[in-house]
Amino acid sequence: MSLRDRFLTLGMHDCAPSVDLPLITTPPEDNDMVLSELKGDPKPSSRANGKPASDADLVPPRQDASLCRIYRYTPIPTVVVDADLSIVEVSDSHLALSGQSRDAWLNTCICDIAPAAIPVPDITSLSGAIRAAIATKEIQLIENIYLSDRRSYFQLQVTPIYEGQTLLYIVFEAHKDTKDRPDAQDRHHAYVNETYKILVDTIKDYAIFMLDTQGNITTWNPGAAIMKGYAASDIIGKHFSVFYGPEDRKNNKPGRGLAVCLRDGRMEDEGWRYRHDGSRFWANVMITPIYEFGRHVGFVKVTRDLTERKAAEGRLIAAFEESSRLKTDFLANMSHEIRTPMNGMLLALSMLTDTELNCTQREYASIIEDSTSILLQIINDILDYSKLSSGSFSLTSDVVDVDTVVSAVVRNCKSCLKPGVSLSYLIPPDFPRALRGDPLRYRQVLQNLVGNAVKFTEKGNVKISTSFTIDAQDPTMYIISTEVVDSGVGVPESAINTLFTPFTRFADSTNRRYQGTGLGLSICKSLAELMNGSVGYRPNPDGPGSVFWFTAKMGRMDTRPPIKRSSAPRTNSSESLMKKMREVAPRKHILLVEDNLVNHMVMLKLLQSFGFERIDAAWDGAEAVKLVKQTPLSYDVVLMDISMPVLDGLEATSQIRSMGVDVPIIALTGNALKGDAETYLAKGMDDYLGKPVHRNQLLQVLWKWLGT
Amino acid sequence: MAPTTTTKTQTVQTPPKTEGPPKLSDMEGSIEQNTFDQILEMDDDDDDREFSQGIVFGFFEQAENTFKEMEKALEEHRLADLSSLGHFLKGSSATLGLTKVKDACEKIQHYGAGKDETGTNDLPDDETSLKKIEKTLSDCKADYKEVEKFLRRYYSYNGDGSNDE
Repeated sequence: MSLRDRFLTLGMHDCAPSVDLPLITTPPEDNDMVLSELKGDPKPSSRANGKPASDADLVPPRQDASLCRIYRYTPIPTVVVDADLSIVEVSDSHLALSGQSRDAWLNTCICDIAPAAIPVPDITSLSGAIRAAIATKEIQLIENIYLSDRRSYFQLQVTPIYEGQTLLYIVFEAHKDTKDRPDAQDRHHAYVNETYKILVDTIKDYAIFMLDTQGNITTWNPGAAIMKGYAASDIIGKHFSVFYGPEDRKNNKPGRGLAVCLRDGRMEDEGWRYRHDGSRFWANVMITPIYEFGRHVGFVKVTRDLTERKAAEGRLIAAFEESSRLKTDFLANMSHEIRTPMNGMLLALSMLTDTELNCTQREYASIIEDSTSILLQIINDILDYSKLSSGSFSLTSDVVDVDTVVSAVVRNCKSCLKPGVSLSYLIPPDFPRALRGDPLRYRQVLQNLVGNAVKFTEKGNVKISTSFTIDAQDPTMYIISTEVVDSGVGVPESAINTLFTPFTRFADSTNRRYQGTGLGLSICKSLAELMNGSVGYRPNPDGPGSVFWFTAKMGRMDTRPPIKRSSAPRTNSSESLMKKMREVAPRKHILLVEDNLVNHMVMLKLLQSFGFERIDAAWDGAEAVKLVKQTPLSYDVVLMDISMPVLDGLEATSQIRSMGVDVPIIALTGNALKGDAETYLAKGMDDYLGKPVHRNQLLQVLWKWLGT
Repeated sequence: MAPTTTTKTQTVQTPPKTEGPPKLSDMEGSIEQNTFDQILEMDDDDDDREFSQGIVFGFFEQAENTFKEMEKALEEHRLADLSSLGHFLKGSSATLGLTKVKDACEKIQHYGAGKDETGTNDLPDDETSLKKIEKTLSDCKADYKEVEKFLRRYYSYNGDGSNDE
């Protein structure tokens, strides 16, 4: 019969006197025994060998029965389990403590008993103590078990009973924690605890409180009461999620917070929390888990009210943004204000240089001209920069012919080349002729890079090369990369990082030979980014000099969009027509060809009043042909005077047509004779207007060719 | 408003000499009011009339230069140049609505091209053409002086901040 079975019998015949089996050995109640074992003393033979040997065989049965009653009637609440952890005896005093019946306990595994009834804090601590007791064969003590229904602390003594190497029983004895007679260490603990309690209770600015393992509030300091508006009696026992907003609660933010805290050892969060009265505040929350003997017992939560600080931060940021915006606006306004008189100066200057000047005067005039054009460039840079930094810069979608743009830039920069420096460009033969993008911005970036290269190259060469790849993300787009390689001064190591930062110039520290605002490259960077590309620099691998490159995304165009040749009836009233024209005009590109200054100015003013913003001007037919050649697909309409010096309007028209460009060309003519109109149309023009040009006629004709 | 009734009868030949502000309607024969109004409408500010004044004064300069060039070309018998100069000034005077000047310039353009004043029939020889141009040019300058005087007066009333009407 196994021990367990025997105890089963015992249990069934509750306190029957016939039970004659040995129940138990003397539990090592005095600490000396434990102490001697802890000190590594050899096991007293009386325990290991002598005593158990006398248990079963030598002790008379009568005595066993009475001994058996020890555990039933001991005033110490006691539970005895066998080696299988099955309960074989439970004392009356224990049943009184737990308030349960003996039947519910006997023959039940102790692990199946509710932890509070044993009493232990949880099953983990119980099994930990049992494991330790079995492994060490020594008494284990679980302390600070709080029984809320009794409002007192208990400790559980776990005593393993061995016969030689065989585990017979484990005895669990619950002792009420006698706090009223603390030893020295307890007193110290109490002192420390009291100090901390006072500290925590004194803090008014921080809410410091504890949560149990489930997140229910267990303590509450005055800081918490002030900050959250709950009295301690209101809040203790409630779940801490009451401080969160409905949205956070719905997302289980409190629960996730505790999980993160357990995983990472701490959790910090900032967000809105709610007071008792429903008002909210911006809180910094720190949660730390608390462990006792490796067992998780709860969390400490510290909450700070950062509402004021957050508001101050907000004010600071707003003030900074406002001042930055004011600065940008100021720059833009000033530049704009300066540009107007500058243009007047330039105009007067060019008129001055047309008069008869002597050599000295001419030299001075050319110095003024150089300076004003540099000044104008700077002002334009600043305007671009302020537009880019305020985000109000936009791209227009147009047809880009990279070949044309590159050759125009090369032509433009040739005059600035230092003697002996060559400027060349390479465009692969399979490079697409027409792309969808912003030709002006592409040109602006290229012009800037080439301009720099030319400026900083004293000898050798400047080379431009372009290549294209199909965009991997969007097969309808090309990535156009353009490289400008020079054999110039290069960029010192120290300047590489600030190369594309606004208002930084590496050249000015050494000498003032090279002029500029330090905005050019930063504008290039912003423009390239606007075109979904990037800019970059690397040293010239073949010796001194630099390689500047940029990329831009441009749309593929396999076919040229057909140019509209509608003939809308001229029935619109001029007012509604004007309204419609003003909507369309800003996107249209007009070329005005007129040699007479007075007429030119009046036409410009008229076109501007219609809302046109992109008006290119040519003063004779040759100039017009040149402009059209540079950007053959750019213009939406050409207004062409007939009699002009150098090349007249009819000849210019036939040259434009011979390039295969079929932009609408409208003749402006003072010859209102019959038959003239037919001649113009026969020569390739599309329409005509007699002089003086009247506003409504101009509007009608332009709408005919530009409107929908 | 100052009374202008006394000047109404003599508008065609001489500009008004009253102290009152000049009115465009007084110049009906020389200035096409619709066209000139269009120029005035381009002014951003009706009080200072910056744009139109700039245009008109620019035209004065252009006209005077052109007259000088015409005289030179006349001396050197360069008929083709006279024709194109006529055409040139015709364009701008038309734009401003200065009809008399425009008509005279058109005649010079035709004469210079060896045609009669309407541009339909040929003139017999260069001599005739030059003679006709000489006569027309001096008429043209007189007409121009008239409108110039009027317009300068007009802008002295309307151009520098004083209210018109």
